[in-house]
Amino acid sequence: MDLKATALLKLIYLEMFGHDMSWASFHVLEVMSCPKYLQKRVGYLAAVQSFRPDTEVLMLATNLLKKDVSSPLAPTISLPLVTLPHITTSSLALSLLTDLLPRLSHSNSNIRKKTVAALYRLALVYPDSLRSAWPKIKDLLMDEGEDSSVTAAVVNVVCELGWRRPRDFLALAPRLFDLLVDGGNNWMAIKIIKLFATLTPLEPRLIKKLLPPLTNLIRTTPAMSLLYECINGVIQGGILEGTEGAREGEEIASLCVGKLRGMIVVEGDPNRALIRSQIRDKTDKTTVKYVALLAFNRIVSSHPHLISMQQDVIMNCIDDPDVSIRLQALDLGAGMVNINNMVDVVERLMQQLHNAPTATRSVDHGRSHAAGVEPAADSEGENPEETLQPTADPQDETTALPAEYKSTIIHRILDMCSKDTYSNITDFEWYIDILIQLVKLVPPSGRSTPELYESSGGSLRNSPPEKEADPFSAIGCELRNIAVRVSTVRTEAVKAANSLLSVSGSGGFFALRSAGGEGILTFVAWIVGEYVDDSVSSYHSLDSLVHPKAQSLSPVVICAYLQAIPKVLTSIVSQRLLDWSSEHKTMMSLLVARVIHFLEPLAMHPSLEVQERSVELLELMRVASQAVISHGLENDHGPLLLTRAMPQLFTGFELNPVAPTAQRKVPLPNNLDLAAPINKNLPRLLLLADQGPLAESEAVEFGYFYNKRPIPRVAVGPVLDTLPFLGPESSSSYQQSGDSIPDSDAYMRKRSERWARNKDDPFYIGKDDLSSGTSTPFHDILRSANGEDVDVDSIPIMKLDLGDKIPTADGPDMGTRRQKLKRRKKFDIAKDENIELEDPGVAQSGTASVGTMNDTNPFQRAHDKIKKSLLQVDSSGLGSFSLNTSGSAAEHLDIERQAAQDADMTKALAEVERLRLEMQRASERIQATDGTPAEGTLVKKKKKKKLKQPAGDLEDQYGNPYAEINDGPIRDSQDAEAVPVMKKKKKKRKPAIAKPDDENGAKSF
Amino acid sequence: MINAVLVFNNSGQPRLTKFYTQLDTGVQQRLISEIFTLVANRPSSACNFLPLPPLLATTPSAAATPTQPHNDTPSLVTYRHYATLYFILISTSTESPLALLDLIQVFVEALDRLFENVCELDLIFNFETLHATLGEMIVGGVVVETGLDKVVKGVREQGRVKKRREVGLGGADGLGVVGGLGMGRGWR
Repeated sequence: MDLKATALLKLIYLEMFGHDMSWASFHVLEVMSCPKYLQKRVGYLAAVQSFRPDTEVLMLATNLLKKDVSSPLAPTISLPLVTLPHITTSSLALSLLTDLLPRLSHSNSNIRKKTVAALYRLALVYPDSLRSAWPKIKDLLMDEGEDSSVTAAVVNVVCELGWRRPRDFLALAPRLFDLLVDGGNNWMAIKIIKLFATLTPLEPRLIKKLLPPLTNLIRTTPAMSLLYECINGVIQGGILEGTEGAREGEEIASLCVGKLRGMIVVEGDPNRALIRSQIRDKTDKTTVKYVALLAFNRIVSSHPHLISMQQDVIMNCIDDPDVSIRLQALDLGAGMVNINNMVDVVERLMQQLHNAPTATRSVDHGRSHAAGVEPAADSEGENPEETLQPTADPQDETTALPAEYKSTIIHRILDMCSKDTYSNITDFEWYIDILIQLVKLVPPSGRSTPELYESSGGSLRNSPPEKEADPFSAIGCELRNIAVRVSTVRTEAVKAANSLLSVSGSGGFFALRSAGGEGILTFVAWIVGEYVDDSVSSYHSLDSLVHPKAQSLSPVVICAYLQAIPKVLTSIVSQRLLDWSSEHKTMMSLLVARVIHFLEPLAMHPSLEVQERSVELLELMRVASQAVISHGLENDHGPLLLTRAMPQLFTGFELNPVAPTAQRKVPLPNNLDLAAPINKNLPRLLLLADQGPLAESEAVEFGYFYNKRPIPRVAVGPVLDTLPFLGPESSSSYQQSGDSIPDSDAYMRKRSERWARNKDDPFYIGKDDLSSGTSTPFHDILRSANGEDVDVDSIPIMKLDLGDKIPTADGPDMGTRRQKLKRRKKFDIAKDENIELEDPGVAQSGTASVGTMNDTNPFQRAHDKIKKSLLQVDSSGLGSFSLNTSGSAAEHLDIERQAAQDADMTKALAEVERLRLEMQRASERIQATDGTPAEGTLVKKKKKKKLKQPAGDLEDQYGNPYAEINDGPIRDSQDAEAVPVMKKKKKKRKPAIAKPDDENGAKSF
Repeated sequence: MINAVLVFNNSGQPRLTKFYTQLDTGVQQRLISEIFTLVANRPSSACNFLPLPPLLATTPSAAATPTQPHNDTPSLVTYRHYATLYFILISTSTESPLALLDLIQVFVEALDRLFENVCELDLIFNFETLHATLGEMIVGGVVVETGLDKVVKGVREQGRVKKRREVGLGGADGLGVVGGLGMGRGWR
């Protein structure tokens, strides 16, 4: 057996390296049952490490475990206690429960605390066990004379239980409070605070009581961990909210923030007891910094103003060498931005992106830098012109950033800026500039966009840009949003789009392609096409769009190109070729020829979508080309097809953003009956179709249906989501700043220069023109923009809710601020259109939130059920478990109920079996006519014991209605038994009384 | 609660694995290697918290349900690096991150006391004691003892702890295998 134990020990070691040892499970069992402690220990260890849920020999171990739990030796008892949590199943839990409970009052504190922990795990798989164990555990907790480590263990368990059903633990609050105040054990204090944090929402009075000791702890404790947890508890327990307004509330809020700030700024805590402090010191500091940021992140949602006061330290963390800290700071940054610090934060991040690839690494710098920061650093220098302050020295402390981190930054910047429909942005030209810079900074990504789109089912129409997936697409999406929503800067946006699309510029097409940024081209092309009227260089755009290289783009992008080409072409025609001359004729035919040349190869493109669109367009262009050639010079106007027909195809309503939920709010027309059969004759028609081929005329009809051109999208209600595949154009490089970092000052200067230069250039739209359209309310746009005879009112309607609730650029508070800042223009930010509905609940939210919540919740729930995390211990059984035994039966889970029933069934069976044996014995006794007294007493004693104990236990532990149902008949017979037996004892076994007993038994058989 | 305790060395070889749920051996190994790749790439000045390894990462939306501050999903990976060894704790959000760091510290100090100047070799040859020590501190994922003295006492009660001098895979009396590889204190 020694040999075997040693071999097993080696096996365990090998198992750790990944070698399967499930084949040895029986041997494990053998070693477990060794009488020698040390061998036994090896066996138990092997069980912990190697048993899996499907290990079958476990059933055989039940008795062994029972025996060891009741062993007189303390070390032997703790073996199964430590092992049980790993291997327990509900049936094992059930059979061991009765053995474990007495261990709660074992003389050895070591055993007691381990039993508590083991019982907790038992309760997770078999919630009923908690019902019987809880009173004892509670006693342990309440007992003031109890060993402190046992109390700590109990607190741990209570804390674990606590967050699932906090209400049940409110009664313990006074005792826990005492423990917190004079406990002295930091670990325990941390746990208690955590528990209180879940209790306070249920019992607001607790907050008042907790405040003084917590404040005291925060002020005095030398242990960083306790300090942190106190603050955390204050945050999570809603104490900040609970005391809002009161003097203490403000006090503790500022105290917390102050301490957290200290944790970030100050060097690590000198008082913290660490043996290897000289090595660990640095790490601890970063760790503390990290958790402080974590805490900040929790506050930020409720108290953004507190956080923005700490902006300086947080911004320094963004430059921390540790990426985890940066990420936290980044999240925090995204949470704390407001209209004032927006520009600062973004510029800081841009700096980081700019510097990242070239900077050298210096690990220590972050710390010294952080320590040197003046706490009084600004929080009001947010004017675009004076934003240089924080950019002083990041040059040497940035490290080479991982690509994922970079894309996270980009996404965060975009999130920050687009928050609340751009309510934080005061200068959209600046934002567009940022976007353009971002495009250049996107790290090369692993997968290219086409794959991305194909993986999403290949349908362009329904795939809105996957925001998180590809930074390029995200930027493109932002650019498009700006172009759509902010009509003032549309010209700028189009210009930017042109520069991106351009085949000649440095930052344009080719650079994008090499970086895998095709995703953005889709959006850019659409902008260029849709807003070609705002463009100053349509020719350039067309040049880029029909560039031969574009043919090799991914299908999605080509589709967008294909839509943009005719739009740009049309615009050129309608704007500039109104007076028809030979010069223009040549030019026109040249342009059309180029487009045809571009389209011809695409007509055989492998992608069906591209093929279809290009064939359509190709035909149109051929007709146009014919028209141009045949059109005589004698006319004043160009060919009607070009000047009238084509523009009508490609222009129409102004497009406005529509909320994702708007579609569903369009009221159903009254006469629409979705339940009505489409065709009452359908079965017959189907039958006919089965019987023979279609009639010829029908076939023609079908062909017509499929081959006819789709109706151009003119007056259809504009829905943003369907847009990305429209068209593009280009211009020369928008901004020449290749390498130098354009900071705001330089940018401003450059821009004014540009304006000056372009003032007299007829190809640029002047500054004044730009601002003239500023305040057009977009109702009017909607009405006036379409000259066609479309009756707007006939569209089934829909009062447009222009989102008054969302703070707009026109909001009163914005107005006052605007005056403060020197150059801040008025921007109209178009809100998502939505429909005010009768249903107030739905109509209130103008954003996607309703949709997502409604849609995802059930799904998510189902999803959660299916996919559980790996290491997760499922405790959902406890969630619905009440500790108040009486009256809780109604809310039992099905599983629990079943378990209880099973348990009762086994008990009942055992009872029946026992009774049967007794009957047998009784009848034997009678057969022996005059049984000896000795035999009689023996039987009686046995009976008494057996009857009393199990029945009593049964009711104590499993006192629920189901038990009664099952027990009913059995208990009757047992009572009938019990009475005569007791009598028998008193009356010294008169045969007359013994007889009914027998009869009774016979009956029940 | 604590979901797993792992110890491995600088090259990723496991020295102690303890999962408080039953997992397939293969999955365990994958998890270990994933965590090792995460942890090995961090500079020494980085903080002691790891992002969740891919195996454990769940949908972010499910992780942050505002109504419930805690849930059963493991969400915290804390580690500490001592000389050649990484100590890793995987836990749910009910544990305090800084307290876990202290817990690792206590664990290491307890080992240090038991072995008198603990080093990686001790753990290899006496990994049973290692498990016993852990068993004194954490039972079924619940921390039962944080006091250094009590942990050490609890382990000592279970039997004499061998020093490296008397190495053997057994690490305890009665197994009869005293390897005697003849390694002295000079091993550090």
